[in-house]
Amino acid sequence: MSSHSVENVDPSNVRLWDYDDHGHDFIGTRSIGFWLYMMSDAMIFAGLFAAHGVYVHNFAGGFTAKEVIHPLNALWPTLFILTSVLIYGFGMVALKKGSRSGVINALLLSFILGVGFLFMEWREFSELAAMGAVPQVSGFLSDFWVIVLTHAAHVFFGLLWMAVMIVQIARNGFSQNNVYRLLNLKIFWHFQAVIWVCVFTFVYLMGGI
Amino acid sequence: MTRKKFPNLFRYLALIPLLLLGGCSSEHFWLFNPKGPIAATELYYMILDVAVMLIVVVPTILLTIWVIYRYRASSGKGAYAPKWSHSNVLEVVVWGVPIVIVAILAYYSFIGTHQVNPWNPTVITQHSKYAKEQPLEIDVITTDWQWLFVYPKQNVAVSNELVVPVNRLVHFRLTSASVTNNFFIPQLVGQVYVMPGMRSKQSMVAAHTGEYHGLSAALSGGGFSWMNFKVKAVTEQSFKSWVGIAQQSASKLSYAEFKKFARPTVNVGNKVQLFTNIQPGLLVQVIQNVRDGKLRYKTPMFLTENMLSDEFKKHAN
Amino acid sequence: MLVDLQGPWSPIFGRLGLLLDVHYNNPVIFFAFQLVVVGGAIALFWLTCANRWGWLWREWLTTVDHKKIGVMYVLVGLVMLFRGFFDALMIRTQQAIAVGPDSPGVLGAAHGYLPPYHFDQVFTAHGMIMILLAVTPMLVGLMNIVVPIQIGARDMAYPYLNALGLWLTAVAAALVMIALFVGDFSHAGWVGLTPLTELPYSPGVGVDYYIWSIQIGSIGTTLGAVNLIATIIKMRAPGMTWGRLPIFSWTTLASNIIALTSFPVLGVALALLTFDRYIGTHFFTADLGGNLMMYTNLFWIWGHPEVYFVVLPAFGFLSEIIPVFSEKPIFGYVTMVLASMAIGLVSWTVWLHHFFTMGASPGVNSYFSIATMLVGIPTGVKVFNWAFTMYRGRLRFPTPMLWAMGSLFLLITGGTTGMMLSVPAINYLVHNSVFVIAHFHNMFLLIAYATFGAVTFWWPKVFGFKLDEKLGKLFFWFFTAGTLFVFIPMYTLGFMGMTRRLDYVSHTSWQPLLLLELFGIALYSLSVVFFLAQLAVSIRDREKNRVTGPDAWGTSRSLEWATHCPPPFYNFAVTPVVHDRDEWAWRREHGLISLVPDRYLDVHMPKNTAVPLLIGALSLFFGFAMIWRIWWLAGVSLLAIIVVIIIRSFDKDTDYIIPAADIERMEAEILNRGAADETSDAPIGGGAGGALASPRKRDGD
Repeated sequence: MSSHSVENVDPSNVRLWDYDDHGHDFIGTRSIGFWLYMMSDAMIFAGLFAAHGVYVHNFAGGFTAKEVIHPLNALWPTLFILTSVLIYGFGMVALKKGSRSGVINALLLSFILGVGFLFMEWREFSELAAMGAVPQVSGFLSDFWVIVLTHAAHVFFGLLWMAVMIVQIARNGFSQNNVYRLLNLKIFWHFQAVIWVCVFTFVYLMGGI
Repeated sequence: MTRKKFPNLFRYLALIPLLLLGGCSSEHFWLFNPKGPIAATELYYMILDVAVMLIVVVPTILLTIWVIYRYRASSGKGAYAPKWSHSNVLEVVVWGVPIVIVAILAYYSFIGTHQVNPWNPTVITQHSKYAKEQPLEIDVITTDWQWLFVYPKQNVAVSNELVVPVNRLVHFRLTSASVTNNFFIPQLVGQVYVMPGMRSKQSMVAAHTGEYHGLSAALSGGGFSWMNFKVKAVTEQSFKSWVGIAQQSASKLSYAEFKKFARPTVNVGNKVQLFTNIQPGLLVQVIQNVRDGKLRYKTPMFLTENMLSDEFKKHAN
Repeated sequence: MLVDLQGPWSPIFGRLGLLLDVHYNNPVIFFAFQLVVVGGAIALFWLTCANRWGWLWREWLTTVDHKKIGVMYVLVGLVMLFRGFFDALMIRTQQAIAVGPDSPGVLGAAHGYLPPYHFDQVFTAHGMIMILLAVTPMLVGLMNIVVPIQIGARDMAYPYLNALGLWLTAVAAALVMIALFVGDFSHAGWVGLTPLTELPYSPGVGVDYYIWSIQIGSIGTTLGAVNLIATIIKMRAPGMTWGRLPIFSWTTLASNIIALTSFPVLGVALALLTFDRYIGTHFFTADLGGNLMMYTNLFWIWGHPEVYFVVLPAFGFLSEIIPVFSEKPIFGYVTMVLASMAIGLVSWTVWLHHFFTMGASPGVNSYFSIATMLVGIPTGVKVFNWAFTMYRGRLRFPTPMLWAMGSLFLLITGGTTGMMLSVPAINYLVHNSVFVIAHFHNMFLLIAYATFGAVTFWWPKVFGFKLDEKLGKLFFWFFTAGTLFVFIPMYTLGFMGMTRRLDYVSHTSWQPLLLLELFGIALYSLSVVFFLAQLAVSIRDREKNRVTGPDAWGTSRSLEWATHCPPPFYNFAVTPVVHDRDEWAWRREHGLISLVPDRYLDVHMPKNTAVPLLIGALSLFFGFAMIWRIWWLAGVSLLAIIVVIIIRSFDKDTDYIIPAADIERMEAEILNRGAADETSDAPIGGGAGGALASPRKRDGD
């Protein structure tokens, strides 16, 4: 009830309007929105992982998990994507130091590692397609393709974003817009790595062993 | 004259509600006229639930109306208290009353759910009256858009009509050869989904002989509205003679025959057909073949996009 | 082609060849087409004649002003509300005619005038439109308009994203309208029953229209939720602590947390269904390892929170309207906030009660039954709190308050029937019966009543004049009569055993009540006429009904009343400082109602942009191309969307500064306009609020 107890106000001495309004905190506002978006994206994966729990044994007489999933196949992509995140982190250190070339170099390296990740996934899935383990075969394979490729789509769009950021930083340097975007991309890049860790654990390790 | 006029007028006036409610005499309120223990139990909980809710709903409505009347600005008598917005006592009441009501209803809900559980309705299975006899097993298979009731032990089957003996526990196993349906006999037993590739269960007892209405309560496409079946609850004697007649039927129901029966058909005529020589394990076979993708009827485009009377009639039974 | 399509397909035109093969034409659709064409022609004619195209482009289509975006959201919602109402009219007519085997059939239908598949489309469209494209946009629109002003912000946290959300919602509505004339709509119920929605059982493009319009629209809703949450967290005026946040903003927050977390689940469910229909995967098929109940689970994991997503803002409306016309603060503010948050939380734990009849074990059903009942606790608390808000008040009953009262009584009856449905033993009897239909229409009407109340309540704030009271009251009473005549018979039919979605009614004993429902919907139609008349008359007499000063109702309480009616595009000349939960009531009590600050400051505002509209247009192409499987067009549109977003990210010129002098000039203009009233001592407001001219002294304590 405290808010109702402002009694005995001196009408001549009350501050009704905020004359030191300096606008709101721009970068903070931008990143809270991105965190909120990440929450909804996390719900997408929550839905997909719930589905995975349902479809994980629905082989329908076709390929079993052990025939399709080889955890070792996913080991190199895992190392690539985690290294990419680490290097992006170095980029953020460079951002703090204000080094434009440091940021660009880190983003470039991070980008190349991400492309490597996608290349390996592409190879894995073209092998699956060649042996006939396509999503039309069973509920299990539908789920496997969709969950792994949804993550891959995240990586793809993250890389696209990274490429745009490299150009923007080269052109405009550390403008307010570029800084908040770099910080949001950091959140996104970490997020997809966390998702990959879950995919690796729940889909590859638990499915293949 | 005037004395005569009034009754006349009255008679005409009485026609209006009669016109509207003529069809609503109590026998048409299927939910209020249960003919078996499951539907009766479900009705019991409905009445109980409403009664408990009314304990709080009626005073709330009265309180609201009283407040509206007493505190209206135009000429209300209530004293205006412009700052009053908190009271610890009332806070306890506003949280306490719903909590108590919900606690009571939650208790009854828990009990009731077990009593009418489709897999093992304790209101029947723990009842000495029904436990002495072997239950009657019936396999229910829905197609687009017909019902097939198979009596495996009796080696007979019937389409679009269910015949059961009274006072005997009936066990249903249900599956669908097309899309999901919903097995519902309002006066005997509540709904349960009939799903393709899966088997659901239901149990019931018909306590009185008579003819009841069964429906599919889940939308299943163009012929859905005609997907009704009659339920005949008969004496044990008549049931036996009915089985005898069915066993004489010329129609056999091998799996191949079933596949013919299962083609999209609108049950406009409520066509009742008796079958004998039933494929053993038909229900299991249907489930397995649906799961393997071997039993699946594509709904033809013209039956969905443009279902005018001509095409419709072509697919009526 | 990975799946087995019925009908023609070509690389250039996709499945559009179906339009030649299948006769979608039907006199009913042709009539609807004429209506839309004539309506569109009138609008285009007016725009051209009045030379309004530039105005439309500058002031509306490219705007990022949250109030205008909100108004457009409400407009989309209203248009779709009419469409949904027409569908309802058709459903009721068909069910009243097509009863019994001897009932006549016209227009090619065996019974009634709609063939089964067409009828199925009508009720599917009705449900989907009313929930996702009528109620949701109207609520999002009102949140958009009110929340930033109510918390003392100049705009939403992300004005550009806000416009994008609007246009994606508009695209969803456009796709549903296109489905009426180009091809057909889903026939599988608004919930999209699997496996009925799978390609073998729904070979046409109807389900694809359903999938893509919901998918695109729900992306818009999710973006809107991000925006509203961030706005409430980050953009509150100084002094607007969490303890002083108005209840409507609290319910908006709770409701958008629900939207943010639940809509992605719907997205997943629909995406998996899309893969089934487009690629041939086995998620929700009955065969090859699919699990059709998984769709039902995912759908309702979204679907039930969605119910609270739409009901919480309605509770917020009631919490704003009732105190104003009771001239008292809301009773039990803290309790109201807790109850809203509790409803949001519990909404996540109840989804299975939508399919108790699946055959789950009694343990599972009991758990979800009891979880469902728990919702009754905070809801009950809210009802009591509103009643106690009115208790010891000074109640006036202009139209917004009437709608609020109607809403309150509907909540009580809907709550009672909801408690019945939450008991599995009862649910087995009435699930999928028209009793359920009556129950959730009861609940959605509560939302509609609260929304109509809110529209009337905030109308003067947004447009600067009041809606006509007399016609508004006629609208209310006819609408209420319609509600009684449609839904009391519908509840009754539920007890008689009538199931839902019947295009042909086999039991003639149900006909009298169905005719009564038809009479009810005729009353609804009359009320719609009164509503349109109310709009027309109010706009015609807008000068007479103009509101001067900030406080349209004379007893308003929260911060949105501490600026002009209508507010300038920058909302507040100088950001207000908040001292109380009911800031405007507090200022009025202390005689601090002047809107003239000591000095003016520069104001930082976002610039208009056509990019959201462009992305919306491209999404429309994308959706249409996916529905008709025109792969090249889908690819090109998607690529274009990505390119547009990238190009926009290079745009540095997105906002501007309005100098303090300009603000001062604009403020002076607004104040001079109402100068006549400022000088007199008449209470602020007028019109229906005139009852305040001689407030009776009845201070009891």
